[in-house]
Amino acid sequence: MFDRHEDVVERVIQHLRRPVVPPIDPGLDARVMVAIAQTPGGSEGRRWLYWASLAAAAVLAVVLVAHPWSRGGRASGSDLLQFVFVAPRAASVSLVGDFNDWDPARSPMQTAQGVWATAVRLAPGRYRYAFLVNGVEWRADPAAPVAKDDEFGTPSSVVTVGGKRL
Amino acid sequence: MIIAALLMTLQVAVQDPRLERLDPETRGLVGAVIDSAREVGLPSEPLVQRALEGVTKGAAGARIVAAVRRLSADLGTARGALGTHASSPELEAGVAALRAGATPQLLAHLRDVRKPPLTMALSVLADLVAGGVPPDSAAAAILVLAPNARDADLVDFRRAVERDIALGAPPGTATSVRVNAGAASPNAIHAPPPGNAPPPRRP
Repeated sequence: MFDRHEDVVERVIQHLRRPVVPPIDPGLDARVMVAIAQTPGGSEGRRWLYWASLAAAAVLAVVLVAHPWSRGGRASGSDLLQFVFVAPRAASVSLVGDFNDWDPARSPMQTAQGVWATAVRLAPGRYRYAFLVNGVEWRADPAAPVAKDDEFGTPSSVVTVGGKRL
Repeated sequence: MIIAALLMTLQVAVQDPRLERLDPETRGLVGAVIDSAREVGLPSEPLVQRALEGVTKGAAGARIVAAVRRLSADLGTARGALGTHASSPELEAGVAALRAGATPQLLAHLRDVRKPPLTMALSVLADLVAGGVPPDSAAAAILVLAPNARDADLVDFRRAVERDIALGAPPGTATSVRVNAGAASPNAIHAPPPGNAPPPRRP
């Protein structure tokens, strides 16, 4: 039954792909060209249309291609990770890292008696992160590998999310 | 005039708005590094993140620029070893492995013996070294495990070695013992059963 259904679909596709050749008046081309030539400002109108089309295409290309700040490539196959940090005396703890543009406002952690936690969905990749305590103190995650190549004088940790094997 | 407008639109569109957190001079220098990287096909996102890390941590502009330049160069080295088809996460993990002491030849060898993605294998290599395992021992262990181990196996291996080190084992010895045990019995590299873990996992 499935094969028959596919066969029908295939025939419909073939039918739709056939070139359509409507009956054409042999003198149509000539009459159209004469009409265009007689249109006032026709040439300027077409030039404006050409530049407008070019501009629209350029803007569209920029929107579609030049999105360097998009992390869309990492969006598939994400994994929910829980981050926990124990700081009984802290007034606030934020999770900051490669996954939230190092923006402390993006991942504030919730506390229960000094145990701060949050969960973040991460796509496959290797991420550097740290905890920001009280908005001023940088702390690495004691439960995760340390980022050895720290270049800014404060500790960071790393987490790796595995991808699907090919 | 239309062309000028188009060029302006293009310039505004390709400028990453997140970089506005940098001061103008640093932004210009970082932007130039990112543009150069993009021109040769390197991923720009790791460079943006490194710049944002620097500015959030209050680093000086010159330090941020130096870090972004160094990362760009290392991404190029990693791509040279892993190939042009390597993904951005693989290149980032490759940079971590290189900085941990792995050679480009080792990265290329790893690419030959393990199916992609190589992200986890490279990361575990870097993490082992960061945990005190000598680079040669870590590299040898990963090369032994890489052909057949799953990503989860590699993470378990790293945790088992870290636990042994925390209990007082010399890092190199802990690594080789775990690898040999894993060769004898694939389950031996696994950490003890953690019980019923909650759905979100820890790093």
